[in-house]
Amino acid sequence: MTQTETKTESEEWTPKIIAFLCNWCSYAGADLAGVSRIQYPPNIRIVRVPCSGRVSPFFIIKSLMDGWDGVVISGCHPGDCHYISGNLVARRRFGIIRDVLEFFGIEPGRVNFMWASAAEGERFAVLIRKATKIIKELGPIKKF
Amino acid sequence: MGLEEDNKKIEESMRETARKLLEDKEVDAVIGYTEGTLPMSSMAMVITRAEDVDKLIWNNYCYINLATYLVPRIAQLVDPEKGDLKVGVISKGCVGRAIIHLKVEGQLNLDNVKIIGIPCNGIIDRKRIEKEIGQKEILEVSTSGNEIIVKGRDFEEKFAFDEYILNVCKQCKVKSPPNVDDACVGECQEIESVSDDYSDLAEFEALSAEEKWNHITELLEQCTKCHACREACPMCYCNLCFVDQNKPIWFGKTTDLSDIIVFHLIRSIHLVGRCVACGACTSVCPMGIDLNLLIRKVERIAKDRFDFTSGLSSKVMPPMMDFSMNDSQEFMLEED
Amino acid sequence: MSEKILNKDQIGKFYNEFSDYNFYAPVNEKGNILFKKISNPDEIVLDFLNSKIPPKSVLFPNKEILFEYEYEGKDVIIKERDDLDEKYVLFGVRPCDAYSFQLMANFFSFHGNCEDEIYLKKKENTLIIGMGCNTPKQTCFCTSVGGNPFKKEDSDIFLVDLGEKYLVEAISDKGKELIQKMSWLADATNADKQKAKELAKKAEEMITTQIDAEKINNILDENFKHPIWKEVAESCVGCGTCAFLCPTCTCFDVIEEHDHYTNKGKRIRIWDTCQAPLYSMETSGHNPRPTKIERCRNRIMHKFSYYPKNYDLTGCVGCGRCVSYCPANNDLRSILKEIEQIES
Repeated sequence: MTQTETKTESEEWTPKIIAFLCNWCSYAGADLAGVSRIQYPPNIRIVRVPCSGRVSPFFIIKSLMDGWDGVVISGCHPGDCHYISGNLVARRRFGIIRDVLEFFGIEPGRVNFMWASAAEGERFAVLIRKATKIIKELGPIKKF
Repeated sequence: MGLEEDNKKIEESMRETARKLLEDKEVDAVIGYTEGTLPMSSMAMVITRAEDVDKLIWNNYCYINLATYLVPRIAQLVDPEKGDLKVGVISKGCVGRAIIHLKVEGQLNLDNVKIIGIPCNGIIDRKRIEKEIGQKEILEVSTSGNEIIVKGRDFEEKFAFDEYILNVCKQCKVKSPPNVDDACVGECQEIESVSDDYSDLAEFEALSAEEKWNHITELLEQCTKCHACREACPMCYCNLCFVDQNKPIWFGKTTDLSDIIVFHLIRSIHLVGRCVACGACTSVCPMGIDLNLLIRKVERIAKDRFDFTSGLSSKVMPPMMDFSMNDSQEFMLEED
Repeated sequence: MSEKILNKDQIGKFYNEFSDYNFYAPVNEKGNILFKKISNPDEIVLDFLNSKIPPKSVLFPNKEILFEYEYEGKDVIIKERDDLDEKYVLFGVRPCDAYSFQLMANFFSFHGNCEDEIYLKKKENTLIIGMGCNTPKQTCFCTSVGGNPFKKEDSDIFLVDLGEKYLVEAISDKGKELIQKMSWLADATNADKQKAKELAKKAEEMITTQIDAEKINNILDENFKHPIWKEVAESCVGCGTCAFLCPTCTCFDVIEEHDHYTNKGKRIRIWDTCQAPLYSMETSGHNPRPTKIERCRNRIMHKFSYYPKNYDLTGCVGCGRCVSYCPANNDLRSILKEIEQIES
């Protein structure tokens, strides 16, 4: 029974999403979501980074080029950064990456940025659900 | 008054300023433009003696941004013993802006650089004229009144000057260099901020994602990855460009469409809040690719997001070197 | 064998004779003349000065896969190129570019000591249909470097544009065989031949730039450290346009594109240029050509000094592309003139 279920699921296309989570907040938030048994879509593959400020445009664009259907980047809320201002620097960077990607005709919904603290397991799950929904609606990434 | 008289006047005062600077030993060298060997061209030139100033010229084909020779400094502007020479730079608006922005980024010392300001009236888009002429050889180009007259073996064509200057020049709001930290001599202006309406981008921005992608790929597909745009760009001064990095290899170096797109995409990201809209990249492209669209967008992002225009002030920090608690974050994913 | 006449409206028929070849001809793409594989003879541009990217791009493309490989367990399976037997025909090649193939083949064989199989095989399977250059540009100087706007020897078949028609002349055995098969070609009259001769004479007179390649070779030998190089490099911006558009520049970089997801990969060669700092960078971090001065010097030295020493020919065909398209207007003609002035 379980097997047939998985089969019907795999027939339907689901996106593959790569998530860059900061070590101090979002990664712990994802952990909390797991420990609290809050369900969120299994489409994300998590890469732990020291800080959202570590996420370079290269990570995002390389991921999209390699065929990931979407990217999620999550860090600490502004003011909560373990390194004081890493996420503030990142926020400026994310804004322009998003604008330039949109300009080149890559749907901005493919790259999602969010804040989630270590205590916000519920919020993390909700936002991942939302991001997955957006990316799923966009369909598979075009080859580029 | 016609263009020619304007240019002559500018040329004379520019030579006078350069001569004075060299004679008074305020600078050791002046970098400027000299007559090119082909129609619609000019060459960069370093002069060190006051009697050579007559070699300097100014016309509407001086498309190279001279700031590109300052960072990294070319060997001709460095004394083996004394170190960096004091350089006077013949600066149209965008050269001045580039120098000031490079100073803000800590790439050059304004004590060593004198901006010799000249008011620019637009650079002729030589690639577009070449394309219009097609497979005929251009032998002579002159400007008269408001017309560009192109002559060849058995043809003569006229182009309207206002129409056939670079697209970025049509939108240019900073014709002569801004005076920052009193580094400017000659024609300068006090300018704090500029406003721009970006209506030229409206048509492109209204396209759907798919259409945008098709438009951009069609625009860039002929790129040969010779990197002339990068080398002519005053802001592309990295010792090792991201496409050349091989530890690890991030992006391919080939002329596959994906590698071409990714080069221009990341270069655009790197130029946000830094591009001075000189249009040198468009003027130098051997394949005649017009990068105007990218320049304008990059300018617009900096203006819309951070209300910043590069190279106008040495006090305001460029957006990518700064951050604030109050930055907009409307793009962040939030719970409903 | 006598010359033939090909009317311009018969180009389609001429094209059909080459059905078992990959037919490459100049086409106009967004205002740039490029050599592209065509499938419709109407695409061919007949009225052009010279292509922007030289026809070297057909035999030595900007990106060329050398071989592909795949991991199977611990074994590597190498897939060699299987398309090397394909035949190519290059239509409308200017004599300077036709000559450049010989110079490139020299590099790719190095007197038979070090042969590049891919290039040489392709070259062997290529038929060059040259086309006389009726209106050389101001920037051309082929007559000074062993060429001529109507030099036929490097083509298999040579065409001369007589206005409404072409004068067709078969040069090599391969070309003669093909022309013989095309019995529909009319014979040329004496008036046609006369006109072709006049055009050749007129074209040669139009080339005004004269340089003395031999003298330059001798001067370069002794002036490796001359201050002129500082002057030459002054306006150079350091891009690779001159090398990319040069019909005789052969330098390439070998890169590997490995896909970690499928464990497959390709070894690729792409064009490289001695004007890039990375080109001469050594693993230790030392760069023997650290500034543009050394890099500009290397380009000129290579064409006019090292190449003649290796192969007894000047390594430049005088097409003038680097002169026309240099972003900084660093004019090779005036550089060579200046070098000629150096007192030895």
